[in-house]
Amino acid sequence: MKALGWVLFGAFLLYMLLPMLAPVAYSFSRLWLGVLPEGFTLEWYARILRDPRYLEAAFLSLRVALLAVALNVVVGVPMAYVVHLWRGRVGEGLGRLLQVLPLLVPPLVVGLGFLVAFNRPPFALSGTLGIVVFGHAALGFPFFYRTVYAGLTGLEVRLLMEAARSCGAGLWPRLRHVLLPNLLPAVLSGSLVVFAISMGEFEVTSMVAGFGTITLPLLLFQSLREDFRAASAVASFLLYATLLALVGLSLVRRR
Amino acid sequence: MRGERFLILPGLLFLLLFFGFPLYSILERSLAAPEGLTLTRYARALTAPAYLEAWRNSLVFALLSTLAAAAGGLFVAYWTSGLPARAKGLLMSLYAIPVSLSGLVVAFGFIVLLGRNGVVNQLLAALGLPRFDLYSWLGLFVVFPFYNIPLFALALMPLLETVGRGLMEAARASGATPLQAWVRVLLPALMPGILAGASIVFAGMMGAFGTALALTGFAKNLLSLQIYSLVAESTFDLPQAAALAVVLMASTGLGLYALALWERRFRR
Repeated sequence: MKALGWVLFGAFLLYMLLPMLAPVAYSFSRLWLGVLPEGFTLEWYARILRDPRYLEAAFLSLRVALLAVALNVVVGVPMAYVVHLWRGRVGEGLGRLLQVLPLLVPPLVVGLGFLVAFNRPPFALSGTLGIVVFGHAALGFPFFYRTVYAGLTGLEVRLLMEAARSCGAGLWPRLRHVLLPNLLPAVLSGSLVVFAISMGEFEVTSMVAGFGTITLPLLLFQSLREDFRAASAVASFLLYATLLALVGLSLVRRR
Repeated sequence: MRGERFLILPGLLFLLLFFGFPLYSILERSLAAPEGLTLTRYARALTAPAYLEAWRNSLVFALLSTLAAAAGGLFVAYWTSGLPARAKGLLMSLYAIPVSLSGLVVAFGFIVLLGRNGVVNQLLAALGLPRFDLYSWLGLFVVFPFYNIPLFALALMPLLETVGRGLMEAARASGATPLQAWVRVLLPALMPGILAGASIVFAGMMGAFGTALALTGFAKNLLSLQIYSLVAESTFDLPQAAALAVVLMASTGLGLYALALWERRFRR
C-alpha cells in the first residue's frame, strides 16, 4: 500500500516537474530529435537578446507588471486597511465578493468586458498601454487584497495607529511610517503574486492589446508557430521570472 | 477611526471601473439593438447547434476535470501532509507554481514531451506502440490536471492539516478499517475543503482557453474558445460574444451556487 502510494506520488512529481524542465532543456540544447536533447548551446538566448522585438517585448512586460503592482498597492492597501477596521457586514461582504469575483469573472470575461467598455469616449483606451496595465491590475487585485488583508489580521492595527495619532502624527505620515513598514511582508507577498500573474498573462492581453503593446507572452504565442527555438528561450525566461518571484515570496514569508 | 473611511474610495472606484463597468457593458452590448433592445443573440446562443455543443462540451469538460482534480488532489494533499515539515514546505511552493505560470510555457513543455515528435511518442514508436495525440480531447485531459491537482491540493491542505491526521488515527484506533476510516470519517470531515477546491477548479475550467488555444487552436468546440474566436478572429461579433459570456457566467454561477448549497450541509 505504502509502496504503491510512493510510486503514484513519484509519478505525480515527475508529471509536475518534467513539463517545466522541458522548455529549459530545449533552450540550452543544440538539437532535440531523439528521446534526449543533444549538445549545449546558448545560441537561442543570444538570438532573442539580439532581436529588438524580443527585447522591447521584455521591457514592455516588465513595465506593465511594475505599473500593475503599483496600482494594486496604491488602491488595495488603503482599502484593506479601512475594511479591516470597519467591523461587521462591510468587511465580510467585501471579502466574500473578492473571493468569488475571480471565479465568476474569468480572464476571458475581463478581456471581453474591457474590450466593450473601454472602446469609446470617455474611456477610449483600446490598444493603449493603459488598458493592458488596468487589465493585469484587475486580474491581480483579488489575490493582492486577500494577501494584504490576511497580513492586517496579524497586526494590532488599531493600537498602532491610535498610538501614532496620539503622538501627533497626521494621516499620511501614519500610513507611510507606521502602517506600511509593519505591513511590508504582506504587501511584498501580494506584489510578487501580481507581478508573476502579469509577466505571464496571455489571455486578457491578447484580447485588449494593440500593435504597440506586444508583451512577451504575446510574442511567445507567435513564436510557437514561427520559431520554436526562440520560443524555447522565451518560455524559459518566463519560467525563470515566475520562479524568481516565488522564491522571493517564500523568503518574505519566512521572515 | 471613522474619519479615515474615505481611504476606501480609490478601491471602490477601482472595482466599479474595472469589474462593475465592464460587466455592465457586456450585458448592455449583448442586448442593445439600433431600435432598442433585442434578445436575438441570446436566442442564437441557446439554439444554434454549434453553441449548444460548445456549452455542453464545456460543462462536461469542466465536470470531468473537477472529478479528476478531486481524486488526484485528495491523494496528493493527503500524501503531502504526511511528509516532514521541510519537504512539505518545498512541495507547497511547487504546487503554487502552475497558478502563476504562463499557460503558454506549460503548453510548450507538453508539446516537447507529448507532441507529435515529442519524447514520449519517440519512445512509443520505438516500442511499436500507437502514438499519443496531444491535440485531442484526451490530450487536454492530460494537460489540465497540471493546474488542477496542485490547485485542489492547496485548497484542501489547511483543513487536512488541522483535522485530517488526528481524525484518521482516532478512527483506526476505534477499530475502523482503512476504507471505513476514509469513507465514514475522513471524507465527511474534509467535505468543506473538497467542495472549495471543486469550486475553484470547476470555475477555472469553464473559462479556461489559453493553454487549449496554444495546443489545439480552435479545433475543439468549447464555449470559452467560441467567445474568444468571436473577439479575436475574422468572425468578429462582439454582441454575440457578450451574450455567450453572460451564458458562461450564468452556468459557472449556477455550478458554484450548487456547490455552496452542498457545502452548507456540512457546516452545521
